[in-house]
Amino acid sequence: MTIRKDEEYRLQQTLARLLQQGSIDRREFLTRSLVAGLGLAGVGTAAKNGIGSARAQDRPLTPTFYQWIEDLHPGIPKVNEKFPGLNYQIAPVEGFGIERFVAEAKKKESTWDVYVGQTPFVEMSAMKAADVIEPWDDYIPKEVIDDMIPSIREENTIDGKLYGWPFFLDVIGNSWHSGVTTKAGLKDEAPMTWDDHLANAKKIVESQAAPFGATFDSHGWRSLAPFTHSMSSNVYTSEGLFDFTSDAAVEALKLMKSIMGVSHPDILLEGASDGGVNGTPDEVAFAAERVGYFSKYFNAPLRMASNWDDPKQLRMGPLPKFANGEGSTVFWTTGCALFKYGKNKEKAAEYIKALTYDAQIWQDSIAGTSAAHPGQLPPYKSIYAGWEANKPDWMLDFVPLVRGQLDKAKAITNHIFGLQQFVIGKPIWETYLKGEEADPKAALKKVVDAVQAEIARGKQ
Amino acid sequence: MAETTLSDQMTARHAESFGARLTALRHGMTPWWFLLPAILFFAGYQAYPIFRVLWISFTDYQYLSSEPAKFVGLANYITAFNDPLMWASLWRAALFTIMFLPGTIILPLLLAILVDRVSNQRVATVYRVVLLIPAVIPSTLVFVLWKWMYNYQVGPINHLLVDIFGLFTLQNAPQWLGGTPLTLPAIAIMEVWWGLGYHTIFFLAGLAAIPRDLPEAARIDGASEWSIFWHITRPALAPIMMILVVLRFGTAMAVIDEYLIFGGFNRDSPTYTWTIFMYDQAFKLGLWRQGFAAAIGMIGAVGMMIVMIFLIRIFRPRG
Repeated sequence: MTIRKDEEYRLQQTLARLLQQGSIDRREFLTRSLVAGLGLAGVGTAAKNGIGSARAQDRPLTPTFYQWIEDLHPGIPKVNEKFPGLNYQIAPVEGFGIERFVAEAKKKESTWDVYVGQTPFVEMSAMKAADVIEPWDDYIPKEVIDDMIPSIREENTIDGKLYGWPFFLDVIGNSWHSGVTTKAGLKDEAPMTWDDHLANAKKIVESQAAPFGATFDSHGWRSLAPFTHSMSSNVYTSEGLFDFTSDAAVEALKLMKSIMGVSHPDILLEGASDGGVNGTPDEVAFAAERVGYFSKYFNAPLRMASNWDDPKQLRMGPLPKFANGEGSTVFWTTGCALFKYGKNKEKAAEYIKALTYDAQIWQDSIAGTSAAHPGQLPPYKSIYAGWEANKPDWMLDFVPLVRGQLDKAKAITNHIFGLQQFVIGKPIWETYLKGEEADPKAALKKVVDAVQAEIARGKQ
Repeated sequence: MAETTLSDQMTARHAESFGARLTALRHGMTPWWFLLPAILFFAGYQAYPIFRVLWISFTDYQYLSSEPAKFVGLANYITAFNDPLMWASLWRAALFTIMFLPGTIILPLLLAILVDRVSNQRVATVYRVVLLIPAVIPSTLVFVLWKWMYNYQVGPINHLLVDIFGLFTLQNAPQWLGGTPLTLPAIAIMEVWWGLGYHTIFFLAGLAAIPRDLPEAARIDGASEWSIFWHITRPALAPIMMILVVLRFGTAMAVIDEYLIFGGFNRDSPTYTWTIFMYDQAFKLGLWRQGFAAAIGMIGAVGMMIVMIFLIRIFRPRG
């Protein structure tokens, strides 16, 4: 009799554990309990361990990640091991596609509980408008919110609610090939102003240290916006759109044209993948060691330099600024969205906290692994403070530089046209860059008109 | 022996005729049962989506909006007709088709005639296999291969033009992809190469159906090779030519993957055709205006159908 009681107890505990982990659902728990002859005793065991929260778990925690995130961050599976039963999945779409998520939300359901790959200015407004996601506020621990760098917290907030839990931080900065700059007789240090940057780039071309002096990614959110921020980040309309006709934007466009004078002729061409936004000509030029300076988010030069004969010749620093400019830049985070019709929301918060604070993921991201060197940075103040207090031997110099910029850096304001305004505008402002339009402000005014026309079309 | 009454006889006759009618009906229904899967497939997989898109094109349906769609009549069509981008994007697709179609007909036809004349069967088989290799390469590999070939800075084509032949410098080498005027011809060349073997096989099948003694007799009668081609081969291949022209016209006008990969969403790019315009509106811009996108799609589809009718009339076999 005692043996049977022990067996019953062990079975009860096992079933309760499976239920807690989400490995079995409540229906299956009850069925198994009854089959095992436990009946209400089994239910009592589960209740003792908190059936209330378990009741919501019809399935194990099911996050969905973009493939590139796992590719760049091989430490993620190790965190997953700490969450037994986790149903880790790769997103059904590449790039910025959210169709499946929206289709499911329309039916008030979701295959997944949390989506890791959301970029606020690209898709967060659309996901909110489509009722796909809900704020994290009820689930995220307060100390985590307080630990976020304020500008990053602001980036992930709409109407005072946190719709994104930031994970990987990308900041637009400057990088250079020290082999090229040294050959051109330049000091191995970051140019602080755009004037210095241009002068150095010209010297590279004149000295024939490399065929091209400098390059940038011609997509507006990677060049026009950060270059504008380096003059002033106060360039958003009350509507939340980028103020293309601001003086800072005009100066940024003129700067782009100046850089083009010392750059490769294909700089304005669309990229070779992901609808033209990736595999861009600037990356090809930098990877081929044909250009000295490269302004883009840091994981681009890190990835491209891995193709060099000596990747250690890569140097990174802050984005230069205009004389009397603000010295800001653009950053964005790739973070996590909580599906409104998903489940396991408390568990999702627990999981994302574990992921975003995982020390190994950040070490791998900054120092690189044999698999990748993304150079993406954490969103929390405490992590930087810890590194500052006790500098790890793998730490790279660009990290404190970027952290310093973050106090001034600003994300592109969230708007349903947050990304698309730059896509619509690119061919129009390029009329100035190509010499088809003499006045930069006139070109940028046409961008405003085109964006407004597109917005108006949706309101008709 | 029981006697049958008139009423019994009438009842039996009625029963017989009812049974006969039932049998006839059953026999008459039989073909419909065989047709049912095809009808269901056609109705569910082809007719319904077309009518659904047609309906959406008359509404202000926005995919991301929680507001219910409202009927707006022809408003989407009027907006599209008044949008210069609609016409520009249709013209770009037509331009690509004009570049692509001749290469789909003339080159494979020429190759098919040459391969057909190879008398050694083993050699002919080798030619056929070699020609078919591009057709069996998955699209992803084809795109990766040609993206590398056309790359401005590190591609082998520009390497030849700049470094080997010295025809250009790094400053003025051709910019093949990424939205330049060369992008459409560059994609057309890739497509012609990709479909060369496949299209050649079509013509080879047609050539195999021409009785061998027909050209032989013409040759004995002193006909030139051109006359043989024009009066025997060409008419015999006319049905195949018509099928290829019509099919490939449809696929060329409706290309989207290649444009997305080689051109992106730059509205000034020659690859921003009506298919990209439609995709952009349906899945990228604002709240995803799928009502308007459906109208763009219907305009493009109807335009294509009109041209197809003309093509069928022009290329239909005569005599």
